[in-house]
Amino acid sequence: MPTTVCTAKASCKKLPGLLELTDTHLQWTQDGKKAPSIRVAYAEAASLFCSKEGAAQVRLKVSLVGDDTGHNFTFTAPPPTAGSEREVFKQELTMIISRNRSMAGHIPTPIAPLIIPSNSLPISAASTPGGTTPGGAAPRPAATALRPSISRATSVATERRGTPVIAGTDPASEFRLRKKVLMSNPELLTLHRDLVMTGQITEAEFWDGREHLILSEAASESQKKGKSGQLVDPRPEAVEGGEIKIRITPQLVHDIFDEYPIVAKAYGDNVPNKLSEEQFWKRYFQSKLFNAHRASIRSSAAQHVVKEDPIFDKYLERDDDELEPRRPRNEHVEVFVDLAATLEDHDEIGNEKDVTMRAGRQKAALPLIRKFNEHSERLLNSALGEVPPAKRRRLDHGDDNPYSQIDIDDLHDAESSAGIILDMQDRQRYFEGRMTNGNQESAEPKVDPATVIRETKASLQNWESRMFQLKIERKAGDAALISMTQNVATRLDVKSKKNEIPDGLFRQMTTCQTAANEFLRQFWLATYPPLGDFETSASPTPAQRAIKAAKMISYISKTEEKVHALVQTAANHGIDPTRVEIAMKPVVNASNQALSFYRKKKP
Amino acid sequence: MKFFIDNLPIIFPYDRIYPEQYAYMCDLKRTLDATGHCVLEMPSGTGKTVSLLSLIVSYQQFFPTKRKLIYCSRTVPEIEKALTELKRLMEYRIECSDTEEEKDKEKNFIGLGLTSRKNLCINPEVAKEKKGKVVDARCRDLTNSSACEKGRANPGSVELCDWHETLGKGEPGQLIPPGIWTLADVLQFGRDKGVCPYFAVRRMMPFVDIVIYSFHYLLDPKVAQQVSKEMSKDAIVVFDEAHNIDNVCIESLSIDLTRPMMDAAGRSVAKLADKIEEIKTTDVAKLQDEYAKLVEGLQSSISDDTDTDGFMGNPLLPDDLLHEAIPGNIRKAEHFVAFLKRFVEYIKTRMRVLHVVAETPLSFLQHLKDITYIERRPLRFCAERLQSLIRTLELTRLDDYASLQKVASFATLVATYEKGFLLILEPFETDNATVPNPVFHFTCLDPSLAIKPVFERFSSVVITSGTISPLDMYPKMLQFTPVVQETYPMTLTRNAFLPLVITRGSDQVAISSRFEVRNDPAVVRNFGSILIEYTKIVPDGIVAFFPSYLYMESIVAAWNDMGILNEVWKHKLIFVETPDANETSIALENYRRACDNGRGAVLLSVARGKVSEGIDFDHNYGRAVIMFGVPYQYTESRILKARLEYLRDAYRIRESEFLGFDAMRNAAQCVGRVLRGKTDWGLMIFADKRFARADKRAKLPRWINQYITETASNLSTDMAITLSKLFMRTISQNPNENQTGISLWTLEDIEKAQAKQKEFALDTERQQNDDDDGDYGDGGLSDNALMDFDLDV
Repeated sequence: MPTTVCTAKASCKKLPGLLELTDTHLQWTQDGKKAPSIRVAYAEAASLFCSKEGAAQVRLKVSLVGDDTGHNFTFTAPPPTAGSEREVFKQELTMIISRNRSMAGHIPTPIAPLIIPSNSLPISAASTPGGTTPGGAAPRPAATALRPSISRATSVATERRGTPVIAGTDPASEFRLRKKVLMSNPELLTLHRDLVMTGQITEAEFWDGREHLILSEAASESQKKGKSGQLVDPRPEAVEGGEIKIRITPQLVHDIFDEYPIVAKAYGDNVPNKLSEEQFWKRYFQSKLFNAHRASIRSSAAQHVVKEDPIFDKYLERDDDELEPRRPRNEHVEVFVDLAATLEDHDEIGNEKDVTMRAGRQKAALPLIRKFNEHSERLLNSALGEVPPAKRRRLDHGDDNPYSQIDIDDLHDAESSAGIILDMQDRQRYFEGRMTNGNQESAEPKVDPATVIRETKASLQNWESRMFQLKIERKAGDAALISMTQNVATRLDVKSKKNEIPDGLFRQMTTCQTAANEFLRQFWLATYPPLGDFETSASPTPAQRAIKAAKMISYISKTEEKVHALVQTAANHGIDPTRVEIAMKPVVNASNQALSFYRKKKP
Repeated sequence: MKFFIDNLPIIFPYDRIYPEQYAYMCDLKRTLDATGHCVLEMPSGTGKTVSLLSLIVSYQQFFPTKRKLIYCSRTVPEIEKALTELKRLMEYRIECSDTEEEKDKEKNFIGLGLTSRKNLCINPEVAKEKKGKVVDARCRDLTNSSACEKGRANPGSVELCDWHETLGKGEPGQLIPPGIWTLADVLQFGRDKGVCPYFAVRRMMPFVDIVIYSFHYLLDPKVAQQVSKEMSKDAIVVFDEAHNIDNVCIESLSIDLTRPMMDAAGRSVAKLADKIEEIKTTDVAKLQDEYAKLVEGLQSSISDDTDTDGFMGNPLLPDDLLHEAIPGNIRKAEHFVAFLKRFVEYIKTRMRVLHVVAETPLSFLQHLKDITYIERRPLRFCAERLQSLIRTLELTRLDDYASLQKVASFATLVATYEKGFLLILEPFETDNATVPNPVFHFTCLDPSLAIKPVFERFSSVVITSGTISPLDMYPKMLQFTPVVQETYPMTLTRNAFLPLVITRGSDQVAISSRFEVRNDPAVVRNFGSILIEYTKIVPDGIVAFFPSYLYMESIVAAWNDMGILNEVWKHKLIFVETPDANETSIALENYRRACDNGRGAVLLSVARGKVSEGIDFDHNYGRAVIMFGVPYQYTESRILKARLEYLRDAYRIRESEFLGFDAMRNAAQCVGRVLRGKTDWGLMIFADKRFARADKRAKLPRWINQYITETASNLSTDMAITLSKLFMRTISQNPNENQTGISLWTLEDIEKAQAKQKEFALDTERQQNDDDDGDYGDGGLSDNALMDFDLDV
C-alpha cells in the first residue's frame, strides 16, 4: 500500500467520500467502498482550480491531461478545517503539476486513469459489447461521463491488439486524439453518437479500421511547430485620456530580447541597479530606440514626438540606411547566386541608371528591408541551426552531384539503369549452348510475303458488292435511342420535381443509411480482416471475429425493418413511399447480401 | 544519346531530348554551315545551353578546322553554369567515345572561363581589397613587366606576386592541363599549384577550344582590345541570354562625368606634371625614347604590349589610325599634360551651367575648339597617349588615375563618332532638386556601333535567349542580316505553367503601376492582397518583381504600414533585394534555404535589377512569379528620350513600340526564370490592367503567349486565385500520360522525325517531277501514298 501524504473528507459528484493523496496518485474513494473510484496519477494532473477564499463551498478542481473537465471535489469538513485541508492539497498538487509541466512533452506519461467501481476488470469491458456502460455506482450526468470509461476500455483493447499508435501506449492521449478527430469531423461525430453512445457498437469497433484518422491526427500534432514568422511589434492599446498601454508578457520580453539583442544588453546594464523593471519597460517604449526598432515610415514620422532619454539614447544605433549595410557581410556565397561577382566582372560602364532604378534612394525603407532580411534569416537559423554557408547544400537533390543545379531531370530515361551485371560461370558455354538451341528452334512458321499478299487479295475481292450487302439491324439503334431519351426524360423529371421529403424524415433516412453502412463495414471487417497490415499475435482471434460478425448481423437484419418503418412514416406524411423505398434500396440490397452471405457461411 | 543531323554525329548528354532542342540544334547547324548569323528564341528552361554546347562541341570535334567557340553570357552565375554544363558534356563525351584515340581527342579539349582579377585573385594581400578597381591596380603594380624585370634582376627590391612568378615558369599553352575548368575549378587549381588563376586563363586564351566570358569582354572596346584581339576570324560567337544585348552595346560606349570625377582628374593631371618634372631630372632618356616611338606611330608603341601591362584599351580606333603618328602637339609629355589640363578645365566650366544642355559631338567639338583651341585630331589620340605616358612614367596605384582615364576615354570617343551619340548635361539630379549635382552624360544611342566590329570580324554570330521576341527587332537595332531567325513553341503534354493576367482586385478596382495611380492606396492594397492570397496557397517559393527600385522600396514601406506584410509573415518569410550585391546574395541564399526547408519564402525584387538577371528560380525556388506592374523604363529620363528619338529617326522604330517591347521582354525574362525542364511547374502572374491589352501580350514570347487563354487575360484577384488553386491541384497529380514521343523524344523519335522530314523533302521533289510527267489520269494511289500507309504489324 502506498504511503498517504494527506487525506480529507470530500465529496465528488455529490457523493461523500475520502480524498487521498498518496505518493503516486490522487485518489477518491466513495464512502463504503473499498477501492478508490477515482485515481489520478501524478503525471496526469494538468491544472488546478480552487474556489475563492471564503466561498460557501470549499472546492478543488483537478483537470487532467487531455481532459479539461477533470474532477471536482468539495471538501465536506467544517469550513475552517476544509480550508486548511484544501491548502495542503493545493500545495502538494501545485508542485506536482509544475513538475509535470516542465516535463511535458518529454516523457509519455504512463497512466492508469480512473477506475469504474462497478467494473473491476476493465479489460473484459472491451469484449463484451454493451457492458461498457458503467453501472449505478458512478452516476452519469451526461454522455461525457460515459465516454472516458469507454475510451479506456477500448484503448486497453487496442493495446492488446497491438495496433501501432504513434501517440504511444497512452490511452488518455489516444482518447484525446479521438475526440479531436470527432470534433473536426461532424459527420463522424453524428455517427459516433448514434452508434457508440447508444451502445450498439463499442468504441473499439467503431475505431477499428479508422486508425488512420487517429494516426494522422497524432502525426499532425507531433509535428514540431516552428516559430511564428511575425515580427515583434508590440501594438499599443489606446486607453482613455490619450495614454497608451502595452501589455508586457514574458513571451513578449523574450521575443524582444531575441529580436533586438541591444535591448537585452540595455536590460542587463540597467536593471535593477538604475531602473526598476517597470521603469525600464516604460521608458523603453517611449524611447527613440523603440521607435527605431519599429522602423516603419509612419513611426519615423512620429519620432519627433518621442522624448529624449539619456539612458536609451546611448543604445541608439545609426540608421542602417546606407547603400552598403552597416555590418558588412563577407561570408562567401555560392557562385550560382553570387551577384557581387557579376558586379566585379567588369568595370562599371555606361551612363548611370535613371532615378527610379537606383537602389536605396528611399532611405527610410532601407532599415526596414534589412530588418526583414535579418529577421527571416534569424528565423531560419533558429529552425535549421546556424550552418556555415560552405556546408549548406541543396536538400532535395543528391548532394554529391555537382550537376544537380543544372540537371533537367525529365530528360533522363527513368527506366534505364546501369543494372547489375550477372556474374555467371562459364558464360561462354552458356551462350554457345543457347545459340545452338536457338538455331534448332528458330524454325518458327515463317511468313511468306507472297502468300500473305495473295490471301489478302483474295479476301479483298468483291469488297464493293459485299459492302452493299452490309446491313445494320435497326432495332438495336432504336432501342438505344429510346433508352437514352427515357434517361433524359427521367433526369428532367427529377430535376423539375422539388425535394418534398421533410427535413426530419430525410435526416432519419440519412441516419439509417449511415448506421447501416457502419454495421456493414464492421461486419465485412470481421469477416474478411485486413490482410498483412497488423497481422500480429494480438489480432482478434477467429472466434472473436465470429462473435462480432454475429452481433453485426443481428443489427443488419434489423435494417429492413427500419427501412420499412421509414417507408411507413413517409406514407403517413403523405409522401410517395416508393421514393423512400428506392432511395433506401441500395442499403437494403447490401444488407440482404450480407445476410445471405452470413447464412450461407453458417448453415 | 548519340544521333546524326545530316551527317554530323551529335552527342547529347541525356537519354531523351525535347523536340525543340532538336529543332534548335538543326537550325544552329544550318547557321554554322552557312557561316552566317542567327537569332534564335528557345523557351526558358528547355535546356538551351546544353543543346547549344552539345551541337557546337560536336561540330568542333567532327570537322578538322576546329573553329573556336566564344561563348558570352551576361552574369558570372550564368558563366559558371555554362562552364558546369560544358564540363558535364565533356565528361559524357569521354564516356561515350569508343576508341582510345577518340577518348584522347575529347580529353584534350580545353574550355575555360574568364572573369575579372577581383573574382580570380588568390593573392591574399590583393584579394582582400573590396573594389575591383583597386584589385586591378594592385595586381598591375605587382605584375607589370618593368616591375617584374627589376624584381627578377634584383630580388627583393620590388614587391612581386608569387603566384604570378610561379606561373611565369610554366610553358605557355601548358599552364593549365587540358579539360574543362569552371571558375571554381581554376581557383582551386591556382591554390593547389600556387599559380595565378587570372593570368593562367589569360595566357591560355589562344590555346582553348571554348572560352566563356561576359558580353563586355567582346563588346566593350576597351576590354575587347586587351582580351579578345587574338580570336581568329572563323570563331563561332554566341551571345546567350542576349535579350539585353542592345543595352550592353550602348553601355559600352557611354560615359558619365561628374564634378567629383573632374576634380580627381584635375588632381591626377597635376600629379602627372610633377612626375614628369621629376623624371626629367632623373631619367630624361626615357621620355625621349617615348617621343621617338610616338613619332613612328601608335602601333609600335603598343606592339610590345603584354597582358600584364595593358590597363586601358583605347575605346575604338580603326587600324589605319593606329599606324599614324601621334599628332605633334601632344607628343611631348609636358605638352600632353598641359593639353589634358586645358580639357579638364573646359569640362569643369561647362558643368557650371545651371540649365540642361543637349548637343551632338560635332557641336561640342566646335565649341571646344572655339574656346580652347583643342583640335579634334589630338583629342582622338587622348586615351592612347595617356596610356603611353603612364607606362613611361611607371606609375603605380593606377586606381588613383581612374577618373583621368575616364576623361581621356571620353575625349577619344567624342572625337571619333559623329553620329549616334549625344552629350547631355544635367545640372540637377531631379527636377525639384535645388543643389546642383551636375552630370555630363556622353550617351551612345545606337547599339549597332559597338557590335559592328563583332559582326564584321566573326563569320558566325549566334544571338539567343529564352525571351527575344519580337525577333525582327534585334536585326533591326543591331544592323545585321541573320540567315536563320527562329522561335520555338514549347511542346507540352500538359500545361506546366499557368500565365494569368490580373487586371483588378477583388474589389474590382483596376490595378496598374501607371505613374498616376501607382501610389493610390487602393492599388497598393490590391497589389498587397494578391501577394497575401498567393502566399496562402502556393507552396515553397514566391518571387515578386516590381518595375523599379523606387517603387519597390516605397511599396514595401507602405505594405508594412498597412499591415499587409504582417499577413505575409504568417505564411512565409520575406526577403527583399537591397542595394548591396553581397547582402542580396546572402538574402538569396537564405531564401533558397527557406524553400528547401519547406518554410517557404517570398522574395521581393526588381525587374531589370540585380536578381532578375542570371538567377534561376526553378522548381521549389519559384512556384509562382508575380509581376507587379509593367516594367516600363522611366520615360522622363532624358537619355531614354534621346534614344527613342534616334531609334525613330534612324530605324523607324516608333517610341511606343520600343517602350512596349522593352517592358515586355523584361517582364518575360522575370517570369521565364521559374521553369527548368518540363516536369517543373510554376504560376506566372501578370498584375496590371495593361497586360490585358492584346498588343502588349503580342510582344511576349510565343511560348508564353500561347498559353494565355482569353479568360485568363482579364481576371480579378479572387478569380485568379481560384484558377491557380485548380491548376496546382491538377499539376500536383502524377502525370499518367507518357510524355515520350510528344514533348520528349527518344532516339527512335528523332530518327522517325528525320525520316519524315526526308520523306517530305522527297515528296515535294517528286511532286515537282510529277507535275512535269503529266498525269496518268487513272486516279490510282500514288507510290507516296502507299509509303505513307501505316501497316499495323
